Amino acid sequence: MEKTTVCILDDEAIVGDRLKPELEDDGYEVEVFTDSASALDRVDETCFDIFITDLKMEGVDGMGFLERVKEKCPESEVIVITGYATMETARESLIKGAYDFIAKPFRIGEIRTAVKKAKKKVRRRHQA
Amino acid sequence: MTLNLGNGLAVLKNFLWRGKENQVPFSDLFVWFQDILKKNNAAMELIADMGGKMGGEFIFDQKYLSDNVKKLQELVRSSAYDLNYITDNQYLEIYGVIEDLAKRLEIELSGKMVISGTKRIYDLGEIEDGMEDLVGYKAYNLSRALNLSELNIPDSFAVTVGGFRDYMAYNNLFEKIEAAIEECRNEQRSVESVSNSIRIMILAGEIPPVLRRQILAAAERISNGKLGSCYFATRSSGVGEDGDLSFAGLHDSFLNVQFDELLSNYKKVLASLYNQASLEYRLRMNILSLEMAMPVLYQKMIKSHLSGVLFTLDPNRPERPESLLSGSWGLGKAVVEGEEGVDTFRISRSPPYPILEQQISSKPHMPTPPEKGPSQKATGAPNAEPCLTSKEISSIMDVGLILERYFKRPLDVEWSMDQAGQLWILQARQINMPRPKRMQHTELKGATEGHRVVLKDRGMIAYRGIGAGRVWLVEDDQDLNHFPRGGVLVSHFAPPWLAKAIPRAGAIITDVGAVTGHMATVAREFRVPTIVGAEAATQLLAANQEVTVDTERNIVYEGIIEELIRHQLLDVPSFEMTREFQLLRRLLKKISPLSLTDPDDPGFTPKGCQTFHDVMRFVHEKAFRALAQAGKDPRSFLRRGGKRLKSHLPLDLVLIDIGGGVAEGGSKGIYVDPDQITSLPMKAIWQGLSSPNAWSTEPIPVDFKGLMSSLTRTQRAEVLGNALPSVNLAVLGSNYVNLSLPLGYHFTAVDAAIGSSPENNNISFRFVGGVTDITRRSRRATLLANILEEAGFKVKMNGDLVIARAINLSEEQMMNQLVLIGKLIGFARQLDVLLKNDEDVGYYFQKFREQSAKPVEK
Repeated sequence: MEKTTVCILDDEAIVGDRLKPELEDDGYEVEVFTDSASALDRVDETCFDIFITDLKMEGVDGMGFLERVKEKCPESEVIVITGYATMETARESLIKGAYDFIAKPFRIGEIRTAVKKAKKKVRRRHQA
Repeated sequence: MTLNLGNGLAVLKNFLWRGKENQVPFSDLFVWFQDILKKNNAAMELIADMGGKMGGEFIFDQKYLSDNVKKLQELVRSSAYDLNYITDNQYLEIYGVIEDLAKRLEIELSGKMVISGTKRIYDLGEIEDGMEDLVGYKAYNLSRALNLSELNIPDSFAVTVGGFRDYMAYNNLFEKIEAAIEECRNEQRSVESVSNSIRIMILAGEIPPVLRRQILAAAERISNGKLGSCYFATRSSGVGEDGDLSFAGLHDSFLNVQFDELLSNYKKVLASLYNQASLEYRLRMNILSLEMAMPVLYQKMIKSHLSGVLFTLDPNRPERPESLLSGSWGLGKAVVEGEEGVDTFRISRSPPYPILEQQISSKPHMPTPPEKGPSQKATGAPNAEPCLTSKEISSIMDVGLILERYFKRPLDVEWSMDQAGQLWILQARQINMPRPKRMQHTELKGATEGHRVVLKDRGMIAYRGIGAGRVWLVEDDQDLNHFPRGGVLVSHFAPPWLAKAIPRAGAIITDVGAVTGHMATVAREFRVPTIVGAEAATQLLAANQEVTVDTERNIVYEGIIEELIRHQLLDVPSFEMTREFQLLRRLLKKISPLSLTDPDDPGFTPKGCQTFHDVMRFVHEKAFRALAQAGKDPRSFLRRGGKRLKSHLPLDLVLIDIGGGVAEGGSKGIYVDPDQITSLPMKAIWQGLSSPNAWSTEPIPVDFKGLMSSLTRTQRAEVLGNALPSVNLAVLGSNYVNLSLPLGYHFTAVDAAIGSSPENNNISFRFVGGVTDITRRSRRATLLANILEEAGFKVKMNGDLVIARAINLSEEQMMNQLVLIGKLIGFARQLDVLLKNDEDVGYYFQKFREQSAKPVEK
C-alpha cells in the first residue's frame, strides 16, 4: 500500500520541524513548507492526501490556501491550525471545507489523531 | 502641559487627603483587593500553562510565547497599579522593577542574548541556560550537569568570550592577527609559520589588570583559601568546541597548574586557538577569525588515583548496547592522549554492567597525587592487574548513563577517582557520530513487537522521552531511600518529596497529578520521561517488573527495548534543541521562580523581586496587609461591616466578606454562625479547627523554664506579623481565604484559593514565634514542618519560622489539606511549652497522626 502523503504549511518553521518526524514515525510521507507560494507551486504538481495549514500568513493566507486546495484537490482533506482561534474563523474554515480545526498550541497527540481520522476518510473515498 | 497639571492636581489631592483616616473607602478596598486576587490567579494560570509546555508534548510557536508574555506584563502592571491605588502610592518603586523585568523578557523575545555587559568570570553555578556561546561548551555542559545533584564536579570557573576579547583588544591583536591570517589565505605564508607568529604575539601580550585581578580572585575563592596546596586544570572551553563542530582535542589543556602559573596558562590556552591543527581546520571550514573566541575553564584539580574516559556508546558500533571505558592510574592524560598503560573495557549498558571484553596493559605509572608534583615515576607498581574493579566500573557506568539520560545523546565523559574512591566528572561532551538513517516506521514497529503493552494512552505526558528500568512502587518517602538508579518510579500520588528521587529515575509514572504540578516541574528539569494521572499504574505495574516507558507515544511496554532507547539517543532530534523551546526555558527562568516567600524578611521589597511571580506575590501580600491594617482592633472592623464568628472556641475571629464568603442573609447583626460560611477554603479550615480532637482547651502545665521564658519574652511579639493589628482576621471570598491569627505569642497565616482548575489552586501557610525559648520554638517548628512535609507540602524552615506551600492540587486535595491545616493550628497552639526535648517532637508527631486520623464527630 502506498504511503499517505501529508503537506504541512506554517510560516513558523518550528511547527513543521517538530510535526514532520512525528508523522513520519506514524508512517506518513511528509513535506514541509513555510510560505504559501512554494506550497501552492507544489500543489500544482501533486495533490497530497492531507494538508495541515496555518491560517495567518504572509501572501496567500491559510483561508486562501484552503480554498485553492479544495478547488485543485477535492479528494484531499485539510486540517487548519491557528493561534488566533475564534468561533468565527473556525466556522469559516469548516464552511470552506476544512476537515478539522485545531487551536495552537496543540498536543502532538491531538494532531496525530486528527491526521489519522482524515487518513481514514481519504482511504474510504479512494476505495469507493 | 496637561500632564504637569494632572501631576500637580494629584500632589495637591494627596496633600489634602494626607492624615485623613482612609483615602480609599473600606468597601472599595474589598473590590480592589478582589481584583488583585483575580489578576493574581490569571497570572498563575499563565505561568503554569507555560510551564506545562516544557514537557515537549505540545507544539507551540513564537507567537504563543510573545502573546503570553504580553498578557503577563499587563496583569503584573495593572495589579501593581491596584496596589498603589489602595496604599496611597506606597510602592511606586515597583513600577521600575516591573519595567526592568519586562524589558529583559522583551530582549529575550527579540532573540538577543541577555548577558551582563562586564561580567567576565562565571562560577559554574552562575552559568544560565543559553550561555554556551559565552562560556564555551566545556564549561556550559558541566554547569548543566550540576543540576544532577548526585554528581561530583570539581569547583570551577569560566573566563568568558568577553575576557578573550578584552585580552585581544588590550594588546591590539585583532588587526595583527587578521593581517597574518590574510597572508595565510593568500598562501603568501605557510599555516605553520602564521600559526607560530600569532601564538608568539598572544603569549607576549599582557592580561588587562581588571581581568587579571578577577581571575586570581576567582581562583582564590575556589581554593578555599588554600592557595598553596591547590592545583588547577586550565582547559580550553571554545565556542563551537564540543558542540556542533568538532574541535575536540585541537586546543590545549593544562593539568597541575599552580596559582602562580594561572595567568601564564590563560595565555597559553588562548594561544592554542591558533595552533596549526586548529588553524588548518578553521581555514578548511572557513570560520572567520573574528568569530574565533576562546573561553577558558579553570577547574580545581582532583587528587586522582585513577582516571579515564567513558564512551556511553561505541561510536563505531552504535547499534550495540555497549559502552567503552578506559582508565589508567593517575591524572588521565594517558587516556586522553593515547599513551601507554591504559586499560580498556567493553561493558554492557545494562546493570550490573558485566564486562564483555577487556584489554589490560602493563602500567608503568603509579597514582600521582598533585601535591607531589606531576608525573612521578612508579615505585613498585602492580602491573598487569586491571586498574578498575567491577564495583568501580559499575559506579562509573551509573554516572555515565545518568549524564546520557540528561543530555539525551551518547556522551564522552572524562572522569577521575580520588583516593577516597569518590568519583568526579571532569568533562562531558557529545560524541559526534554519523547519524544513522532514521529508524523507519516499520522498524520501530518491529522493535516493539513481542513486548506486551502494559499501559497505553493513560494520563498526561509531563515530559517526552524514552526510559527503561525496573518498576519501583513508592508508598511513602521511606521507600525512596533505596530507590535504585535508573529505576522506574511508580507512585499513586505526586507529592513534592518524590522530587529527591527524580534525578535517579529512568522514568516516572503516577496515578494522579498534574502536568503543571511541582513534581512534574522537577521531572522536566531533570529531563525524566514522565506520565502523570495514569490512574491505575500502581495496579497495572508490578514491583521489580522490567518496563520500557515511551512517553513520546504514551505507551509502557513490558521488558527493556534497547532499540527504542537507542532510537531516541541517536535519531530523534530533541525538541529541547529548538529555538522556541530554549526561549521558553529562558523566559520562564525570569518569570516563574518564587524567591519572596517570607513577608517578614528584610528582602521582601520591590527591589527584592527577581521574577514576575515575585512581583505578584509582593503585590498580593501588601494588598492584604493594607486590608488588614485598615482597622486597629476588632471593633474598628466590625464598625465597617466586619462580622464576628459565633463559636465555642476561645478564638475571637473577625470575618470580612469580600464577596460570596458568607451566606446571604447569614450576616444580619454582627454575628455569623460557622455553618453560614460559604467560603470553600474557610469551611475546610474551620472543619479542622473545630474538630473536637484538634483544639485542646485544657490549660497546659507550664514547667518552670517555659514559664520563666514566657514571662521575660515580649520583644518577639512585636516583631510578629510586621505590625499587623492583633486581630484574628479572616478575609473571605467564595473561593478564597486569608486567615491571620496572632494567637498569643505566635502568628499563623493561611492564604488559600480554590479556582476552576488545579492550576488556580494554592495554599500558603506561615507560622512563626511562640512563648518559650528559641530551642523549644524551633522544636515546634520542626514538628510542624515534619507534619506538613508528610502531608505533601513544600516546606521551608528557618529557626521558629515555618513556611509551607502547596500548588496545583485538585479541589478535593485542597479541602483535605485545609482541614489538616485547621487541625494543625489548634494542635500547635501551645505545643512549644510541651516540647521539652527533641524526642518529644517524634512523640507529638505520632500523636497528631493519631488524632487527625480519628473521624471528625458531627
